[in-house]
Amino acid sequence: MGDRMTRVADARERTLTAPGIDGERVPMRDRSREEVDFCIVGAGAGGGTLGAKLAEAGFSVVIIDAGPHWDPTRDFVSDEAASHPLFWTDERISAGEHPIELGSNNSGRGVGGSTVHYSMIAMRAHPDDFRRRTILGEIAGAELRDWPLGYADLEPFYEEVEHDLQVAGPTFYPWGRRRKRYPQREHDLNACAKVLVEGCTKLGIPVAPAPIATLSAPHRGRSPCVYRGFCNYGCTTNAKSSVLVTYVPRAIRAGAEVRPGCMAARIEHDSRGLATGVLYFRADGAELHRQRARNVVVAGYAVETPRLLLGSASAMFPDGMANSSGCVGRCFMVHTGDQVFAKFPERINQYKAPPPGGAITEHFNRTIPGEAFVCGYTIEVVGPHVVDFASRMATSRGLWGASLRREMLDYNYWSGLGIVGEVLPRRDNRVELHHDERDRHGLPIPRVVFGYHGNDQAIVRHAVRQMTSILEAAGGRESWHADRTAHLLGGCRMGHDPHDSVVDADCRSHDVPNLWICDGSVFPTSAAVNPSLTIQAIASRTAARIRELAARRELSPHHGHAAPAARIHPAPRGTA
Amino acid sequence: MSGGEGDSFRPRYPGYDVLAKWSSPDWDDQTRDVVRRRIEEVPPIRFFTGDEAALLAAVAERIVPQPDRAAGARVPIVPFIDERLHEDRRQGYRYEGIPPQREAWRAGLAGIEATSRALHGRAFVALADAEQDEVLRRVERGDPPGDAWAGLDARRFFTSVLCETVVKTYYAHPLAWNETGYNGPSSPRGHVRKWIGGVDPWEAHERDARWGTG
Repeated sequence: MGDRMTRVADARERTLTAPGIDGERVPMRDRSREEVDFCIVGAGAGGGTLGAKLAEAGFSVVIIDAGPHWDPTRDFVSDEAASHPLFWTDERISAGEHPIELGSNNSGRGVGGSTVHYSMIAMRAHPDDFRRRTILGEIAGAELRDWPLGYADLEPFYEEVEHDLQVAGPTFYPWGRRRKRYPQREHDLNACAKVLVEGCTKLGIPVAPAPIATLSAPHRGRSPCVYRGFCNYGCTTNAKSSVLVTYVPRAIRAGAEVRPGCMAARIEHDSRGLATGVLYFRADGAELHRQRARNVVVAGYAVETPRLLLGSASAMFPDGMANSSGCVGRCFMVHTGDQVFAKFPERINQYKAPPPGGAITEHFNRTIPGEAFVCGYTIEVVGPHVVDFASRMATSRGLWGASLRREMLDYNYWSGLGIVGEVLPRRDNRVELHHDERDRHGLPIPRVVFGYHGNDQAIVRHAVRQMTSILEAAGGRESWHADRTAHLLGGCRMGHDPHDSVVDADCRSHDVPNLWICDGSVFPTSAAVNPSLTIQAIASRTAARIRELAARRELSPHHGHAAPAARIHPAPRGTA
Repeated sequence: MSGGEGDSFRPRYPGYDVLAKWSSPDWDDQTRDVVRRRIEEVPPIRFFTGDEAALLAAVAERIVPQPDRAAGARVPIVPFIDERLHEDRRQGYRYEGIPPQREAWRAGLAGIEATSRALHGRAFVALADAEQDEVLRRVERGDPPGDAWAGLDARRFFTSVLCETVVKTYYAHPLAWNETGYNGPSSPRGHVRKWIGGVDPWEAHERDARWGTG
């Protein structure tokens, strides 16, 4: 919704197209010469969702993303080894007492971000998850904080995102606040899920079908899941409600430009300390390009977001942008994602279909009375394909040689469980800029430092015992444990206190009022649920708050340009 | 961890050939393309020296032994690792203490060779299988003799670089899919019989030599 002057003056405006979701090309507005209302860095769960909502509210939006704009009908292959382009493979250094796996484990690349390969488990956080400091008090070695928003603040947005994604879930979900029914019916349980259900039932542990952001019934031209099982390598049939096929097309329809192949180098600011835009490299170019913007949103996930803020240091912001608190990059978290596998007498065929048709138990997602640790974990099913499974056998069990090949003959008889375990925030766990190593653009690469709190490890020990018991109760034998992590969180936490947090509850920087952060990095604590739904709910809420602030002319209070309050009329369909 | 020669890998799915599904609704064009290249266009050695390639081939044969296949019929391992290093295609992170991957592979292979000479006084490729396994186990445990491993964490190199890469390369090949009964590609057709013990007609069947393309 650029104003009329811009349109007339810009006679050379190119007509762009972007990949549609069915192999077609869709027209897209070129906004490279405009000063847009919002330049969003990163088209994943946070940036893609926010971008769509802002564009639909009438703001002019550009979303830049370092990776490609995937065409789901052509770019995804049913092959593990050939799927490496989906993952963030730029070098990062993993350090600390318990250095974590990055890359394909948790880092997406391209439009849609990690939602292109995520497991679609669409869980809400619970009311207590937002009040860890109040409930648990001070815990030595951890930096617990309450969130500046609560469950009630997010509840309508959880509902909205669940509707937008058409989450398929059980009629009755036994944990958390009472809620409306999921928009779509649950998927039929797969073999791995039946193992979990059988084991839990024998042990008296409540269990339910998992809520999954994948269609179980047709929706707006998208077909229901056919259970290919390649969810973690991109969905070729568009059943998966990734941001790539949901919010991104909405954003483009509403007039946003989604510009792939753009690696943000730094955020620019003026003499008043307000952000003025983003400098970025094209994928194969050495030249810097500039996108001017009245507001900048950083949505690069919990490694790249702190990296960009720290890399945007200037004379005015010597420790990086939005970092007067010193919190940028600090209290970086993951979830523990430990897995246990057991062998069964019947065919499981674990490659077949989890996560849709998965089951879940949140029975241990709470502080369990009588245990020597606080917080807990969720148990879910996992179904690694053959390359991934063999790699776990080799690295976790130390199997190699003839014994590896012999064990792998039983690949179809193994079934696995995995957790999403809460990890406490520790100040020393951090993302920082490497002191001398640079990427191909000359930007300092990130160094990720991580080590568990003793509480995190106590949770894992409990979880491994429980998962082993469940698998054995279901008839599994020869169980073994693979330690791993999932998700990336924290590093730019939200909070009320500008001295103790990076952004406020609206994801707005305390220091730079037209700089926003919208991804998993704003989590003050990790909550033992898959984070994407919460990231998207926060993005939806941020969009709603931005509309309110714009309507009150509080969006850019110190900015010379007219506040975009006059621009909040929804864009008519088809004007893009 | 390794057994001796002559280990048999019993064929659980004797009639199963994942490539027989090539023209079925389980394979789309883009997947056919990547698998065809993997089978037909084995890349040339461009990164490793001849000695390094021979050493890695011997190491790979201990990590994923293929005594059941003639030399020309084995799943190629070294060419795909070489291609990745030639293109310097990375995996998105490396542990502190491990140099960038090209350096790490050269240093790790040199370390294995030095460990072989320190333990047995001979080149790794000249050792008997059991001796080769002993060398690799010392590297795996992180206590290889000599100073060839200064600057490289031997245990991490073995597990997270060498072993993981060799294993992933082997199991990415259709021959490995056949022996494990892995369904392989599945687009656009997915699965129907998802329950315990359920096997779709186009999945790998046991003891059924007449298995077809469904």
